[in-house]
Amino acid sequence: MTGDASSSALSYSSGSNALSHVYIQYPPLRCHVPGSRKLFYDDGNKLILSLTPNQVFSWKIATYNPYAAPSFDPISEGSVLSIRYSLDLKHLAIQRSSHEIQFWNKETGDTFSQKCRSESESILGFFWTDCPTCDIVFVKTSGLELYTYGTESRNLQLVQTKKLSISWYIYTHESRLVLLASGIQCKSFTGFQLSSAGMISLPKFEMAMAKSEANSKPILAAEDLHIITVYGRIYCLQFDRVAMLLNSYRFYRDAVVQQGSLPVYSDRISVSVVDNVLLVHQVEARVVIIYDIYADSQAPISAPLPLFLRGYSKANVAFSQTASRTSGASESKNLSYTEETTYGDQWKFLVPDLVLDVSNGSLWKISLDLEGISASSSEVQLILEFLQRRKLEAEKAKQLSLAIVRTIILERKPIPMVARAVDVLLAAYSQAIKTCSYNKRSRTEEISSSNAPNAAVGESITGIDVSRSINHKPESVPGYDSHNRSVMATSESDGPSIEKKERGDLLEPGLLDFYSHVFSPIKEEMTGDGSYLTAITIEFLQSCSLEKLKVYPNTYALLVQILARDERYAELGLFIMNKIIEPSKEVALQLLDSGRQNQQIRKLGLDILRQLSLHHDYVLLLVQDGYYLQALRYARKNKVNTVRPSLFLEAAYISKDPQHLAAVLRFFSDFIPGFKSSADHNTYHRFVAELNS
Amino acid sequence: MGLTSESDAKEAMKLCMFDLRRGQTEGQELDKILFFYPADLPITNQLSVIGLSEGLITFTRIFSPDAPCEVIEAEKHCHVFYEVEADIWMVMVVEKENPESIWRVDALRSVLKEIHSLFVMFHGYIRALVDKEPSGGLVRSHLYYFIMDFLSDFSIGKKLQLPNFRDSLKEQGTLQMLTVGREAAIEVQSLVTLLESCVGNKQCYSMTMFQDLLVSTNLSPIDTLNLFTYAVLRLTPIALFRGASAWSSLRKTDTACSTYAGALQVTSISAIDQYYNSHDPPSLRRHNYPLVRPLQHSKWSKGKDGFLTTDIWGTEVNSLLPMCPTIWLHLTEEKMFLLAYQHRGLTVILLVPVSSVSGDQGISMLKQQIIENASLKMLKVEEKLSRGWGGENAYHVSGYRYLLVDGDRYVSRASPPGKVTTLTKESLVALSKLREEVDLEKARAKWDNSGREKDIEICIRAKNNSWLIARLVRGKELYMVLEKGSETLLFAADATEKFSERYCNGAFSLD
Repeated sequence: MTGDASSSALSYSSGSNALSHVYIQYPPLRCHVPGSRKLFYDDGNKLILSLTPNQVFSWKIATYNPYAAPSFDPISEGSVLSIRYSLDLKHLAIQRSSHEIQFWNKETGDTFSQKCRSESESILGFFWTDCPTCDIVFVKTSGLELYTYGTESRNLQLVQTKKLSISWYIYTHESRLVLLASGIQCKSFTGFQLSSAGMISLPKFEMAMAKSEANSKPILAAEDLHIITVYGRIYCLQFDRVAMLLNSYRFYRDAVVQQGSLPVYSDRISVSVVDNVLLVHQVEARVVIIYDIYADSQAPISAPLPLFLRGYSKANVAFSQTASRTSGASESKNLSYTEETTYGDQWKFLVPDLVLDVSNGSLWKISLDLEGISASSSEVQLILEFLQRRKLEAEKAKQLSLAIVRTIILERKPIPMVARAVDVLLAAYSQAIKTCSYNKRSRTEEISSSNAPNAAVGESITGIDVSRSINHKPESVPGYDSHNRSVMATSESDGPSIEKKERGDLLEPGLLDFYSHVFSPIKEEMTGDGSYLTAITIEFLQSCSLEKLKVYPNTYALLVQILARDERYAELGLFIMNKIIEPSKEVALQLLDSGRQNQQIRKLGLDILRQLSLHHDYVLLLVQDGYYLQALRYARKNKVNTVRPSLFLEAAYISKDPQHLAAVLRFFSDFIPGFKSSADHNTYHRFVAELNS
Repeated sequence: MGLTSESDAKEAMKLCMFDLRRGQTEGQELDKILFFYPADLPITNQLSVIGLSEGLITFTRIFSPDAPCEVIEAEKHCHVFYEVEADIWMVMVVEKENPESIWRVDALRSVLKEIHSLFVMFHGYIRALVDKEPSGGLVRSHLYYFIMDFLSDFSIGKKLQLPNFRDSLKEQGTLQMLTVGREAAIEVQSLVTLLESCVGNKQCYSMTMFQDLLVSTNLSPIDTLNLFTYAVLRLTPIALFRGASAWSSLRKTDTACSTYAGALQVTSISAIDQYYNSHDPPSLRRHNYPLVRPLQHSKWSKGKDGFLTTDIWGTEVNSLLPMCPTIWLHLTEEKMFLLAYQHRGLTVILLVPVSSVSGDQGISMLKQQIIENASLKMLKVEEKLSRGWGGENAYHVSGYRYLLVDGDRYVSRASPPGKVTTLTKESLVALSKLREEVDLEKARAKWDNSGREKDIEICIRAKNNSWLIARLVRGKELYMVLEKGSETLLFAADATEKFSERYCNGAFSLD
C-alpha cells in the first residue's frame, strides 16, 4: 500500500499540487451566525442549519457556493436534538427530547407536538421521506413508525408501524435507506428503503465482526457504519475496528452481498463519495485513499495522500477579509483566527462529499484533483477508464483523457498500449451517444447525481444501473437531403459550407475533439514518424469501426498527408481503394495537394471528387490538368455552369490545336446565350485564326 | 530424355539471352550467349538467331538510339526483343504456323520481363553476375536453371504454352487483388502493424494474400509485383497443392516422365553438361557453384508452425535446418529474409532486412514471436476474409467478359478463366488483334509524350456479331467482349456505361 508517488512518470500534469489527489477549496462556506449554538445537517434538503436560541439559519448547499447567504426562520426556545425541514420545505420538525417532536407549519405558523405514548420507548430520530405512503418516519427503540402529515389537521396520522427493537439506526436521504441495528453486538440489521417507488424491506442480515479475544464481543457503533451511493448502487461500509478492515456490502432488492474488504490504517476513519468515487479518510494518518468501486476491483486508484487545502494563503485570507469587509459581512473575526487544519477533531463528514468543521462552522466541499490523479498513475488504461466515469467534471476528464492519449503517442509507447487507450475513450464516447447525445450528457448527469431517486435497491441482483435507465430523447437529426448537394454545391463558396453544416450535425463531437486534441497536435511534433502515426491511426479507425463511430474527415486527410509525406503512395492508393480512408471532400483536397508530386495520387483525389459529385471542383481540376474536352463533356452532362469559359479556352489555346480551340469556342457559342458578343469570344476567335494561319 | 530427343527439331519457341559487350571479336561469338533455349539446338543455329538479332539491334539503333528494335514480324516467325539490362537482350522467337499461334507481342514481352525481374529478385542483376565472374559460368548456370524452371510452368504436355490469343482477357505482370470490406481492410492493416511490431524497430515489409489474391502490402509496386508473381507460382495454398500433387504424380510415373517438369529434371543435368562440355571450356562441373533454384517445383511445404519452409536455399552447415530464403529488393537493392506464414487461405509474407537479423537464430526467434503475438489475429483475419470471399467466380459479371487494368498500380481484374473459355475463338482472336492495336496506340502516345495519357474508345462489331470494346481513360483500361448483344452501337455503349457505373465507380463513364 505504500504506492510510490514517484511513479508519476507522465508529464502532462498541470499546475495543481501533485502531492494530493483530493482537495478542499478555500474559502469554505462559513455557516456561522453570532450566538449560534449548534449546527445540523438536513441531508433531505441539503441544508446546513445553525441554531440560535430563537432562530434557525439555513444555507442551501445543493449547489455549493461559499458565498451563499443564509435564510432564517424563527423557532421557539428549548433544547434541540435534531431538526429537519420537510421535503417541500413547508414544515419544520424539531426533536425536542427523546419523547417529543415538535412541528411547525411555515405557512400558517401552526405548531403541534408528537409525543411517545409510553415511557418505555424513546425516539432515536426521524426523517422526512418522499415515499408515497407516508411523509415522515420516526425511528424509535421499539420500531419504525410511519406517519402522514395532515395538511389541514394539526397532527400526524400513523400509517404503519414496523415493530422491532432498535439499538441505533443510520439513514441517508441520498440512498433513501434506513438501516436498523439490533442485537447485543448491534450487528444484526434490518433495512428499509423508502423511495418514491414505495417501501422495500430488505432481508435481515448480519455483519461480520472479528473478535480480539475469545470472550470479548465488540459492539458495532453507528459511526462505524456508512451508507454510500456510487454509480446508482447502494453499499454499506462497516468499519471493523478489530480486524482493521472496512467491509463492504452491496444492497440488492432481494439480497445483501458482502463484496470484500478494504484495509484501514487509522483508528478513526470516515468516508465520502465524490462523483461516484469512494474516499476513505484515514483521519489519524491524515491521508485519504481513493477507490473506484465500478468493477470488482478493490485496488485503490492511487497512493494514499493527504487532503490538500487549495487556494489558502495569507494573501488570500487578506483578500477575502477586505472583500467581506466591503460587503459588510461580519465574518472577519472568524477569519482572523483560522488556522485551517485538515482532519481536525471537530471535523464532521457529511453525506456525500462535505466536511463541516464544527469548531468554526466552516463547510468544505471535497473535490477530486483529476489532474493529480491522472498524473500520478502509470496505468494508462485504468486511469482512462476512471476518467471516463467522472461526470462532475466531464469536460475536464475528457480533456485529461485526450491529453493522456496524446502524451503516450508522443512518447512513442507501444502500439497495443495506445490502441487500448484509444479503445477506452471511444467506447466511452459511443456509450455516451447510445444513452444520450454527447452534449446533453454532463447536464443530465448532474441532475441525476443530485436528486435521482436512487432506487438502486429496487434493482434485482442482476441489476441495471439506475442512471443509465433514465430515458433521454436522442437529439433529432435535421433531415438534410443529401441529394441537394449535387444541385446546390455548384459554386465553390457554397460547397464547403453546406458540407460542413451537414456533417457537423451528424458528427460525433468526441471524435472532433480527438482530431483536434490528439491527431492535429501530434502531427506537428512527430514529423519523422510516419509509420508509427499510420499504425496509430489504423488502430484508431479500427476502434471507430468497432464502435460504429463516424470518423472526422480531417483525420483521414491527416492520414493521407502522413502517407504522402513518407512517399508511401502505393499504400495510400490501397487505403483509398479499400475505403480504409473514407472518401470526403477533405480527403480529396488533401490528395490533390499531396498529388503535386505524384500524378497517381492526384488522380485518386479527382476520382473522389467525381464520386462525391463535387462537379464544380472536378471540372475545374480537369481543365487545370489539360483535359479540357473531357471537362466540357462532363460539365455539359452534369450541368456545371460555374466554371468560366475562358479557362477552357485558355487550356485549349495552350494545347495549340486549332481544331480543339474552335470546338471549344463553338461549344460556348452554342450553349451560352450572348457568348458570341463577349470579349472572350472575340479574343479566342482571333487566336483560332492565328493558329490556323 | 523424351523432351530433348523429340522436340529439338520442332520446338516452336526459341528463347535466348545475350550480352552485347561480350564476344565482340571474331571467333569469340559464343561468349555472348548467356542462355539459349532449347539448349541442344546446334550452335550454328543458335549463333544465327543471335547474329540476326544483334544485327537488327545495331541497325535500328542508328535511327532510334533509345528504343531500338522491338519486334520482327516474319512470315513464319515472330521475334520479340527485350533489353533487360543495358546491352543485355532477351529475344523470343515464336512460330506462326500453328492455328493456336496467334500472339500478342506485348503479352510475350511481358513473359520476358517477368523472367528478368524474378531473376533479379533472387540473384541480383545479370550485369553484376557477369562482372563477378567474367568467364560467364556463374551467370550461365544461374540463368539456365532459373529460366528452365520458369518455363516449366508454361508446359502443357510436351509443349510450351505461351500466352496467346486465348489469354487476351488476361494481363501479365499485374496484380490481382481481393476486394475487401472496409472493416476487414482495417483488420488486415492492424495485423500488418502487429507483425511490424514483432520485428521491432527495423524497417520491414509485408505482403498479405488471400488465396491467389493480394490483400495488402507496403512494398513498392515493383517489388510487390515480383513477390506476388512468385507467391502465386510457388507459395499460395493453391501453388503448394499443385506442387504436392505434381510431385506425387512424378513419383508414380517415374519412368514415363509424362510431364514436362519431370522431363526437365531428368534431362537438365545431362543437357547442361552436354552444352558446357562441348562449347565452354571452363565447365560447370569444375566450378561447383552454390546453385539456388527458387522456382524449382515441389520444394515448398507448410511446416507445423504455420511457416512455409524450403531447402532451396540449402541447409545450415552444422544443423539440418533449412536456410531462410532471401530476396533482393528492387529499389533499395537490400537483401531481405523472406518469411511466409500460412493459415488456410491466408498467406502473410514478411520481409526482414538480412542485416538486422542475427542469422538463423534471429529468424527462429522472430518466428516464435510472430506465432506468439500474431497467430491469433491472423486466424481472425483469415476468418473474416474467407467469410467475405465469393469464391473463384466472385468477380464474374454475368453477360460480360471483361478485363480491367489499372496501369498506375499494376492491378488487373478479369472475368474468371472458366467463363472466358465460353467465348468463341473468333471473338478472342479479334480481341487479341484489337489489343495489339491498342498497345501500339499506347506506345505511340508514350513517344509523343505530351505528358498526358491518351483516352481511347473503341467499339467493334466483329464478324461473329460479338461486340469488342476497348476503353482507356486516364491510365485505366477496360476490354470487353459481349457476344450476345443486339446489333446497335447504342447497346454496346450502354453496356459499357452500366458496367463502369456499377463496377468501376464510373471511371469509364463518358463524361
